[in-house]
Amino acid sequence: MTAIDPATSEVAIGAPRRPVRARWSRLIEAWPPLVMLAIAWIVLTLIVAVGADAIAPYDYSRMDLRARLAPPAFAGGVWTHFLGTDELGRDVFSRLVYSVRISLLIAFAATIMGAVVGTLLGLLAAHLRGFFEEAVLMLIDFQASMPFMIIALAVLAFLGNSLPLFIGLMGLHGWERYARISRGLAISASEQSYAGAIRQLGATPWRVYGRHILPNIASTLIVNITLSFPEIILLESGLSFLGLGVQPPLTSLGNMVGYGREYIELASWILLSPAAVIVLTTLSISLIGDWLRDRLDPTLR
Amino acid sequence: MMRYLAIRGLRAILTIAFVVTFAFFILRLSGDPALLILSPEAPPEAVEAFRKSWGLDRPLWEQYLRYFVAIFEGNLGRSMRDGRPALDLVMDRVPATLMLTLPAFALKLLIGVPAGIFAALRRNSFVDRLVIVCSVAGHSVPSFVLGLVLVLLFAVNLNWLPSGGADNWKHAILPVVTLGTAGAAIIARFTRSAMLEVLGQPYVRAALAKGVPWPSVVWRHALPNAAIPTVTIIGFMVGTLIAGAVVVESVFSWPGVGRMLVVGVANRDLAVVQCVLLLVAMCMVASNFTVDLLYGWIDPRLRAWATGASGH
Repeated sequence: MTAIDPATSEVAIGAPRRPVRARWSRLIEAWPPLVMLAIAWIVLTLIVAVGADAIAPYDYSRMDLRARLAPPAFAGGVWTHFLGTDELGRDVFSRLVYSVRISLLIAFAATIMGAVVGTLLGLLAAHLRGFFEEAVLMLIDFQASMPFMIIALAVLAFLGNSLPLFIGLMGLHGWERYARISRGLAISASEQSYAGAIRQLGATPWRVYGRHILPNIASTLIVNITLSFPEIILLESGLSFLGLGVQPPLTSLGNMVGYGREYIELASWILLSPAAVIVLTTLSISLIGDWLRDRLDPTLR
Repeated sequence: MMRYLAIRGLRAILTIAFVVTFAFFILRLSGDPALLILSPEAPPEAVEAFRKSWGLDRPLWEQYLRYFVAIFEGNLGRSMRDGRPALDLVMDRVPATLMLTLPAFALKLLIGVPAGIFAALRRNSFVDRLVIVCSVAGHSVPSFVLGLVLVLLFAVNLNWLPSGGADNWKHAILPVVTLGTAGAAIIARFTRSAMLEVLGQPYVRAALAKGVPWPSVVWRHALPNAAIPTVTIIGFMVGTLIAGAVVVESVFSWPGVGRMLVVGVANRDLAVVQCVLLLVAMCMVASNFTVDLLYGWIDPRLRAWATGASGH
């Protein structure tokens, strides 16, 4: 980081006088505790998603009709179902674990898809120019001018729902931002002398883009990933909440909240724990994204 | 200026054409409309007659043209559920949706814009931090979670307000607050960063240096310039007035366009869904176009550029 930050320069001036505290504050500034908590939460959800089979105490669809609507342990329930059970006696914690797995799977797959498709289209537009570029720009305009929720609902209505289609649909979300960013950055990068120099040396377009331009725009793209990942989680959980996303018997976080809505008066714990997981996850990624943006991309500040 | 308007107008028309094309192709991709609308067990003669009457036996490009013509005649098909024209069904629901989205829109502006401006002017103050925290929360808390938490608090626990339905004004409070808070956070964040950007510009420093008092720097220099990006995001929100409450209407069982869309998607009532899709597209395009017009009015540079460009 070359930009002079008033906060750090102040610390640097104060450093000789109070070295211990200065070191601490510099440490805290470099690794803010809130961001560290956010990273810890994301790591935890990833562990839960990967190890769902080992972590969940019950099968997520196992019903226990004698233990229906049992409250969580801290509200007078039993420890065998410590987040309570739902109206069919299914363990809320086990369902939560599998929901985290499905929701994260969709969000990761869709984010990667959007990033790859968008970046590729943006780079191609920057390289080919002409008609292709105009077409990509028009698609970008179209996507940016319609609320994606409506497009998604229309596609789901027309084509029906299946998990691969749903993931693909979520992957369409946000590609236009990657395309816009990568096109703009690639055009300005290819006008710079380093790109011209390697081209003069006889590098193929593959090499120019893959080895030189892409690494130079990667940090901006990574920051954009942290923006679209929580948006996809929100979109997926919103659609699943409406009953139009992930379909039973599979379960996702939004699905659980939608289900729990029917029991909000009797058993609010069914919807509160998945709702909390959604909020904590999107909040964590946003915090990490802001922090990464400050560290990786001084131009965006 | 005319050239600028012509380009914007052309783009608006292109976007509409694009949405219509999108709807046409995705409708064709969904399978044989005759089999979808009639039941798969329908007698072959009936299917054939249906195909003929809807022009489905024609070549694809002719169907495509006919589709365009039908839409511009306002013929958007009939609901598969009760056979009424889809446009009438949707239009019946528009007032209910506007009853939520218009007050929510006012709430967003009344809270979001002043909060953003104030936060930017008092950077790093308590209010600024509060605005940042709220706007991060506004981005991370989905509207259905916020809505359900409000229901839990005010309807289930305190029993002050109804949890759903649309009988009187009391039913509108929770959905309006839910919609308004999330939007206010987004507007506040935009306004704040637009203001900060402008306050860091050389012309603000120049104005201060030549002795212009701070309030008039803010009023004459900072606010008009910061208005430009803010108007863009507000314009986008105007476009979503008609269907921006899909999730919230479902949380509160509000009988608006959004609820109708969700039910339509669940029942695969294609005519209704297509009608809402086109209606939203028109609203978005109309509001984007209005924003473009507003730009010309707010930003004198653009006027100069446009007349300058037309002179070349």
